[in-house]
Amino acid sequence: MTQIDIFSGFLGAGKTTLIRKLIQEAYQGEKLVLIENEFGDIAIDGGFLQDAGIQITEMNSGCICCTLVGDFTKALKQVIEQYAPDRILIEPSGVGKLSDVAKAVERVEEAKIGSEVTVVDAGKAKMYARNFGEFFDDQVKSCDLLVLSRTDTVPEKKLQEAVALLKEMNPEAGLITTPWAELSGEQILDAMRDNGLRAEMEALKEEHEHEHCHHHHHDHDDDDDHECCHHHHHDHDDDDEDDHECCHHHHDHDDEDEDEHECCHHHHHDHDDDDEDEHECCHHHHHEHDEDDEHDHDHHHHHHADEIFGSWGMETARKFTEAELRGKLQALSDEEKYGTILRAKGIVNASDGDWLYFDYVPEEIDIRRGSAAVTGRFCVIGAHIREDALKELFEIA
Amino acid sequence: MRKGQDMPVYLFTGFLEAGKTRFIQETLEDKRFSNGEKTLLLLCEEGEEEYEPDEFVCKTVTIRTIEDQTELTKENLLRLARECDAERVIIEYNGMWMLDPLYTAFPEGWMVYQEFFFADANTILLYNENMRQLVYDKLKSCELVVFNRFRPGTDKMPYHKLVRAASRRADIAYEYADGKVEYDDIVDPLPFDVDAPIIEIGDDDYAVWYRDISEEPKKYEGKTVRFKCLALLRQKLPAETFVVGRHVMTCCVQDIQFAGLVCQWKDAASVQDNSWMILTAKINFKFNRAYGKRGPVLTWISSEPAEAPEQPVATFY
Repeated sequence: MTQIDIFSGFLGAGKTTLIRKLIQEAYQGEKLVLIENEFGDIAIDGGFLQDAGIQITEMNSGCICCTLVGDFTKALKQVIEQYAPDRILIEPSGVGKLSDVAKAVERVEEAKIGSEVTVVDAGKAKMYARNFGEFFDDQVKSCDLLVLSRTDTVPEKKLQEAVALLKEMNPEAGLITTPWAELSGEQILDAMRDNGLRAEMEALKEEHEHEHCHHHHHDHDDDDDHECCHHHHHDHDDDDEDDHECCHHHHDHDDEDEDEHECCHHHHHDHDDDDEDEHECCHHHHHEHDEDDEHDHDHHHHHHADEIFGSWGMETARKFTEAELRGKLQALSDEEKYGTILRAKGIVNASDGDWLYFDYVPEEIDIRRGSAAVTGRFCVIGAHIREDALKELFEIA
Repeated sequence: MRKGQDMPVYLFTGFLEAGKTRFIQETLEDKRFSNGEKTLLLLCEEGEEEYEPDEFVCKTVTIRTIEDQTELTKENLLRLARECDAERVIIEYNGMWMLDPLYTAFPEGWMVYQEFFFADANTILLYNENMRQLVYDKLKSCELVVFNRFRPGTDKMPYHKLVRAASRRADIAYEYADGKVEYDDIVDPLPFDVDAPIIEIGDDDYAVWYRDISEEPKKYEGKTVRFKCLALLRQKLPAETFVVGRHVMTCCVQDIQFAGLVCQWKDAASVQDNSWMILTAKINFKFNRAYGKRGPVLTWISSEPAEAPEQPVATFY
């Protein structure tokens, strides 16, 4: 099965530069084909591609009026047949719709979409969103990773506005706000492979829960399965049956609509929706669907109304000084204002250019310096979390 | 609008960041452009530059925004003009919209007095490669093209050709960062001799010739031309008339159109429909019912059957 990565974005957004970086630093060892549907100003250097053993195919219908779907599907099939690549990189026309390209790819049985990336010039996001309409909306809303370009050339405030705007248009997508020069191709590829914030939240919750229950139940072959007595995570992104077990027992009924999961200390039933799987856990409830539910917010917050434990996560391009970050983490102990914060963890860009990795448990703050991350990130878990107050505290609009 | 008078429209086109706003701002700060007319300034795009109405010499400017193409309707435009009792309209058009919806929406009496196309010299060639249809759409009707942020020493030819592929009429200005402006004086000789006893049009030059005769039909008055063409018979044509021409592609396969001329011949009925011929004919600029107005009308002198040209669809190379 050939994997397909699509890089959309308006003309001049930096698609070619990004692709070049990934080819040089991250895709090594794979048999690649690059399909360009745009006449770029920085043409990818053919010699370099040949040295790297990469096949380059241009589909120069580079004109807004040409509908590409039918022809494109055909061309893709041909490319796969001819070169049998591990991966095809597609750089569609900057004025094309990402969803159209994805549709064309979906019609090719021999291929599977790996990642849909949209590159947006940080300084122009707002202007483009206001004036371009459909194709720009489509590019932003259809992607699973938003990569901002030229973030080091815009004022921080403008960058934050761009992030807020894009996250509002597509809350689900991953985000890269760090200047590319500070990142390795590998880091970018990782961000394409999996939604960073979500993964981080999972990890944090798992960590937290393990600390409390001293029990660790190992994952099955599927990454999405996390099991433990206090935490239950259920991912419904495909038909794969997810098995979840808790420390004391696990009930699996034949009825697919009624998975019951029980946890060690507490049993809690949720009957608000028949189609809803039930997950129960003493301390935490996390429920994740792939589409159309809680994720349609500009943050990740999963909890039921009757549940007091929750988590909150946020991505940000905002910079902090170490003292400022420490002050804000200290403030988290104010239960009345922020709720009971049990754990906080994340990475933020420091004003001095470094990156600050922080860990918070009540009474204990650890801040370390480390290498650049793709974007700043906060994950918080606790009880009665007051999101608005947290947003305000971290000044993330 | 005063009754019975035209509503002058000044139309400014170009992509985002092409310098439209700055130009309009400067124009409205210029005394020469302002006799106190009530002016409706319609913004179809909101770029980075913001207007500073306080700086306008003309103190009777009303700014209104059109956010979506669907708002381009006769009713809407009329209402906006009435609300401010406008005597003239300035339009900053959205670079991603085609012009047709605008022209179609013009209320009666609205006349484009001037149409300028603005472009950032640093991006327009790239934009043209990828959005030729949008670029061509704006170039074909404008009178002046301004390439701004032009860097000294840059080759003008690609810019010149970009414009000339769409229009031979438009003036071209190159504006440098320091504000200095140079006008384009590159002469393009036509690939055929307009003054020859018989103007011979090469198979590759049909599109260029057709554009030229459409733009300047009077230049061809009384002249004789010879070219390879497809002959078509159509029922709706006046008697003793057939159509000659070729399919012309401007940007891409989607816009291929038949570019034809009316040809009069008493034996028109003997023409085999949809056949290629080499036609020699005399050109007159006169009324023909098939045009519904005056236009270049051919009168048959001689013709012979021919093979289709190597490239049946004519292009601007």
